[in-house]
Amino acid sequence: MRSILSRCRIAITIVVAVSVIGFVPASGPAMAHHSSAMFDKSLVRQESAIVREFQWTNPHVWIQVYIENESGEQEEWSIEGGGPNSLFRKGWRPSSFNAGDVIEIKFNPMLDGSRAGFFVGARLADGRTLGAW
Amino acid sequence: MRLLSIYLLLCCQCAIAADALSLPDWSGVWERFEGNGGIFDPSTVEPKDGRAGSPGVRQYPPLTDVWEARYKANLALAAKDRLPDPISFCGTPAGFPRLLALPDVYEFIVRPEQSWIITENGPNIMRIYTDGRDHPLPEEMWPTFTGDSVGHWEGQTLVFTTVSMIGEKKTVLDRSGLTLSDQASVSTRMFMTEEGLLRAELTIDDPVALREPWHVVRHFRKLPDGTRVYDYACAENNRNPITEFGQTLTLDADGNTIDIVIDNKQSN
Repeated sequence: MRSILSRCRIAITIVVAVSVIGFVPASGPAMAHHSSAMFDKSLVRQESAIVREFQWTNPHVWIQVYIENESGEQEEWSIEGGGPNSLFRKGWRPSSFNAGDVIEIKFNPMLDGSRAGFFVGARLADGRTLGAW
Repeated sequence: MRLLSIYLLLCCQCAIAADALSLPDWSGVWERFEGNGGIFDPSTVEPKDGRAGSPGVRQYPPLTDVWEARYKANLALAAKDRLPDPISFCGTPAGFPRLLALPDVYEFIVRPEQSWIITENGPNIMRIYTDGRDHPLPEEMWPTFTGDSVGHWEGQTLVFTTVSMIGEKKTVLDRSGLTLSDQASVSTRMFMTEEGLLRAELTIDDPVALREPWHVVRHFRKLPDGTRVYDYACAENNRNPITEFGQTLTLDADGNTIDIVIDNKQSN
């Protein structure tokens, strides 16, 4: 898994989304069932990642991914998405992410630096994209 | 006598069928047209694209001075993520009138004697009686999330009043911390516009919280034929518990708290 990460890893990109890149809705994440105050909605972090698990559940879906840190160690991150019902109507499926998938993912990171974020977009291994990409 | 009974029953059924034919077609699946940031009253929100609960975002209903002060206090807490939305606990419904401003989808089921508003999010089920009954006697009502709704049809317009809503004790109108008292009542007119939107015109009276009636308009747009509605089971995998001080936390896949910074004091 480490070698896969090394091959596919791209440089960590932290983008000041609102002013530089136009792909983030000005309104931030879709309304969650809870406060979204813990996320830094002004930043989009882009990472290469390997999917550990996709939780297709209410009230929100979660993508558990491994992301390599600056020391070359794998760290698990929890990326929260919208509700499965609305995501399904936007083209997501329970099989959109599978364990072992190598993906690129963008998310609003947590303000306190902890290893979680709110989903912005993803490019799957076959080139398809979900969300804002 | 038996023939007379059968005759009267058939007449009654024919009358109901005729009534049903005169009702508008609100079938299918709908979603809210405006207020994607969860704002209850899009017409008074500032800034116009503001999201409920974000710092500096508020609405301007005709609140009394006391309730304006309460709203400002709630706004300050919400801006610091210390005013939990009651529905974020995954235990209670959004209630009326907030249920007209929810994400996900809606169904509007009309029958001559009763109509239902069903929201996928929550879910919430609102029953509107149009069989001629009145609100219950005061001693036979108690505040509930959805309240008690009775009304009638004026042509293709559903007209109803809602009373006995639970108010600020257990509900908010949105995450900015906007609330009403349990003395509020709502008069609603719902009809289809020429553009094919379903329009809800609300006149909200509250002798405790409002200086004058508050007029709110919301619309719904129809989704493509064949759209399905699904379970919304909030407690299925809620990884965002809320602390006793109102902070929303995040759990990892194993149920451990991810947050590095956790407040352990009451926010002012």
